[in-house]
Amino acid sequence: MTDTARTALSDDAALAEQKRKEAYFTAGQLQLIWARFKRNRSAMVGGLVLMSLIGMGIFAPFLSPYDPTIAGRDKTYQNGAPQIPYFWDENGFSFRPFIYSYSRARSAATNFRWVSTVDKDKRRYLQLFVTDWEYHMMDLHLDLPGDIFDINVQLLKSTTHLFGVDEGQIHLFGTDSPGKDIFSRTLHAIYTSLAVGTIGVFIAFVLALVIGGLSGYYGGWIDSVIQMVTDAVRTVPAIPLFMALAAFVPDEWSAELRFLFISIILGLIGWPTLARRVRTHLLTERSQDYVLAAQLCGASPGHVIRKHLLPSFTSYIIVDLVISFPYMVLSETALSFIGLGLKDPVNSLGVMLQNVTKADVLLNYQWYFIPVIFFMALVMAFVFVGDGLRDAADPYGGHD
Amino acid sequence: MLRFGQFVITRFFLAIVTLLTVSFIVFTLMEMVPANCAERYLSYKSFQGGQISQEDIAAEERRLGLDKPYVIRWASWVGNVFFRGDFGDSCILRVSINQLLGQKFLLSLGICLTALILAYSIAIPAGIMSASSSNPYLNNSIRFVSYMGLAMPNFLLALMIMLVSTILFGDSLTGLFSKEFRDAAWSWARVRDFASRAWLPIFILGWSATAFALQTVRALMADENGKLYVTAAKARGVSGKQLLMRYPARHALAPIINSLGFDLNRVFNELPIVALILVLTESGALLIEALARSNDQQLAGAIIFMLTASIVTMNFITDILLALIDPRIWKSVMGGG
Amino acid sequence: MSSPLIKVENLTLQFKTDEGLITAVDNVSFEVAPGEIMGLVGESGSGKSVTAKSLMKLNPGNAVYSPESRITLTTDGEDFDVLSLKTDRDLKVVRGGAISMIFQEPMASFAPAITIGDQMVEQLLLHSNMNKMQAHDFSIEMLERVGISDAPTRFGQYAFEFSGGMRQRAMIAMALSTKPKLLIADEPTTALDVTIQAQVIDLMKDLVNEFGMGILFITHDLGVIAQTADNVSVMYLGKLIETGSVRQVIRDPAHPYTQGLLNAIPKLEQLDVPLTPVPGDIPSPLDRPTGCVFHTRCSQMIVGRCDADIPTPTTLSEGHVASCFVAQYGPGGVAEASA
Repeated sequence: MTDTARTALSDDAALAEQKRKEAYFTAGQLQLIWARFKRNRSAMVGGLVLMSLIGMGIFAPFLSPYDPTIAGRDKTYQNGAPQIPYFWDENGFSFRPFIYSYSRARSAATNFRWVSTVDKDKRRYLQLFVTDWEYHMMDLHLDLPGDIFDINVQLLKSTTHLFGVDEGQIHLFGTDSPGKDIFSRTLHAIYTSLAVGTIGVFIAFVLALVIGGLSGYYGGWIDSVIQMVTDAVRTVPAIPLFMALAAFVPDEWSAELRFLFISIILGLIGWPTLARRVRTHLLTERSQDYVLAAQLCGASPGHVIRKHLLPSFTSYIIVDLVISFPYMVLSETALSFIGLGLKDPVNSLGVMLQNVTKADVLLNYQWYFIPVIFFMALVMAFVFVGDGLRDAADPYGGHD
Repeated sequence: MLRFGQFVITRFFLAIVTLLTVSFIVFTLMEMVPANCAERYLSYKSFQGGQISQEDIAAEERRLGLDKPYVIRWASWVGNVFFRGDFGDSCILRVSINQLLGQKFLLSLGICLTALILAYSIAIPAGIMSASSSNPYLNNSIRFVSYMGLAMPNFLLALMIMLVSTILFGDSLTGLFSKEFRDAAWSWARVRDFASRAWLPIFILGWSATAFALQTVRALMADENGKLYVTAAKARGVSGKQLLMRYPARHALAPIINSLGFDLNRVFNELPIVALILVLTESGALLIEALARSNDQQLAGAIIFMLTASIVTMNFITDILLALIDPRIWKSVMGGG
Repeated sequence: MSSPLIKVENLTLQFKTDEGLITAVDNVSFEVAPGEIMGLVGESGSGKSVTAKSLMKLNPGNAVYSPESRITLTTDGEDFDVLSLKTDRDLKVVRGGAISMIFQEPMASFAPAITIGDQMVEQLLLHSNMNKMQAHDFSIEMLERVGISDAPTRFGQYAFEFSGGMRQRAMIAMALSTKPKLLIADEPTTALDVTIQAQVIDLMKDLVNEFGMGILFITHDLGVIAQTADNVSVMYLGKLIETGSVRQVIRDPAHPYTQGLLNAIPKLEQLDVPLTPVPGDIPSPLDRPTGCVFHTRCSQMIVGRCDADIPTPTTLSEGHVASCFVAQYGPGGVAEASA
């Protein structure tokens, strides 16, 4: 190879190399974190699961064939087992998935329990994009005390759903005792839990920032007093306290109001831990030299906080938020389960599990437990993503 | 010795202040509840037939001392609790709360503490082992166990167990006592009966407590293992078990003890749900049924306070323990150096 | 010539990481004789600590030694092939026994919750036949020997109760209590102020004379080496680029890197002259330069030679060896007669 050709080639290679190095050195904090996160396989899997679950939740009305409330129940198929679509049986193959028809009967002979006889000859075919019950992509009704504060927001009306059957109804996960479709309810429950969790985390976050921020930034006696109060609040066990409070909530409150109330309470319970983190971080950072340098340049306390201190622990706070999410979800589930949280028609896993402890259900209707799988997946996904974020965000993490 | 005594007293004082703050919070919440004690009692009575009027309510209020200002009522409540251990009477049942709660509280506390002890006796050795061994199977299985503990919350586990036991055994393993022993006096037979049934809630509560403790121990050991003093000890020829126990394990102990109070808090959070699922409450033995079923704020306040007091006590004990085992704290306490 | 105390031959060490195999030490060979103070000099990342830790196989688990590497420890007439010792128990002979190491951060090297005395006694019990009583007394003696006053009280105290200089002395006392043949000192004076530095160095020199042991003194501070060491080896990016007696290397540095290091030291007589650091930055270990590892920062680099071929160690004068084409051939790259 001639010298010039070799130089030209090595110039290009050198240029590319240079660009790659620059990209690495000038990458923003978020890009670096993302690059590290991508390499963590379990975190990526968790992230994917999380995204799909969130998608399922947001598009729940579209994906559910039937209304999850009492209004959409199937009186002809109560406490029914899951109906799985088939492509092929003795009668032949079909491109379109189908389910069987059935007839139900009960009598003294069967202990007055419904018994279904399946009719394999009569098929009902699945259809895509059916028209069924009406829903809104975003539907918010809040009846707050005083008429001015009432909120009524409805957007994007639609009646299309992803799938349905040509005759009768299809219940992929079975039904419960009034006949509500468990599949639809599960999807809506995911949405509710995520929504409650988000509001709770948001409230906890804001409180923690303000209280922890004041405590950490000013230090001294303000810090001591706030710390005492924070510690006292933290010591009180949350669930018993909440049980005590929730038992006093009047029954007249609407489902949405209860929803808001629960979310707020969860946030109020969650702030001490977060606040403590914020405060510890601020205390160490504020005595760092770069803060002093900023102050010497004439920066106001607000500026110092916003531009210097906050970005230094944004990544930690994000990790903390993600990690506290599953606890919110679990707390809400637990409380709704005992009947002190959300109630029908608002739907969540806890609500769905309310009837599960009856012997009847345990023996005969095990499909009531199917939503549990979704929730375990949700919690695990959050845990993995949170762990992955934490490893990725720590600049000193990684191997020697 | 004097210095140490001073330290203990300071810590004690701090604990009391925390308790006072908590009592303030609890009492305020009790006050904020819509109906006060008098109204509740009377509306309860009106359920059973019998008319009540405003005058009845007012009279009742005066009888209970509810017309006195807030601070005085708080002070007398706190005074009664602190000096006489007396929580007063339940609003609705008009029975001394101490009598109502007495045994139930001790049983609940016993179950929670046992679960914690169980959790740590498993987690500490397992965590230390997993940190020191390079056996990938051991490490991965321990990681799996800790993740499972986190993902499968206690009440779900309880539900699963109920499901499985109902299908397999036709019995859902509920209740803390069998019928005969429910309100009987304590005897060996009763203890045996209790033990044969209490293992289930202890196991369930211990499940996630173990997972948490395991994660904590592992993280602490990993942290300590990377520190220079471990390498320095290795460079001196210390090896094997001696190296492991005296260096990283010994130093990881302090943060573990520190977290005990917090763990108790967590277990107290999980107890109500597990108790409700396993229907431990129907046998009248557990505390929480009193909390959830009755709308009685005196009772509720007393329960919350007792729970918190247990945690504060636990924190106090661990603070003292910590000073005893960590020489840095000990020295600063004793003012030596 | 008596056999060297420790002989390192062709030591190559790589670390297994997520980014691949990283070379930390590349074909390093040197010797330390009994009673000799050898300085190991280099910037951070030059591989000096890793080399030193290899002498006791103290590197973390992901370290991979190449098959040609050999480290031979000669003590009491016996030869030990250090790298072939597998378990921690086998290595006990070397670690804390024949070789002792002191670290840069004395606070971090003592276990915080165990008394200094306990840690010293532990080491004595491991390596000698003393019983607890004897170990106790001997440790107090050693503490006094290194100049710590009120030794019996200090024996029962914890690391956080000592001052910086005292901690370093205590570490020296602990290291020397087992009468090792070689003391590895990893940046022992870096964390100390200059006055304490001088005291600690004097102490080490006295003890060397008294105990007759060798010292491998690792530092980035050429000034300390000039005062303390007999011989010096200079490392850069895992390679030993120059070695010789202190006089030779400092008076007459052959390798451009060594020259750069010496030039970078501000001179008292020329306070107005601007500082001349070695230009550029040390390359990332993932990105080792081809040919001579230093050529990317070398002002005397010979194009076509230094960036293509790896220089081999050339003896420039008795005991003075450098791996450099410029040193070997002169700036023009033309072969010159060397002594």
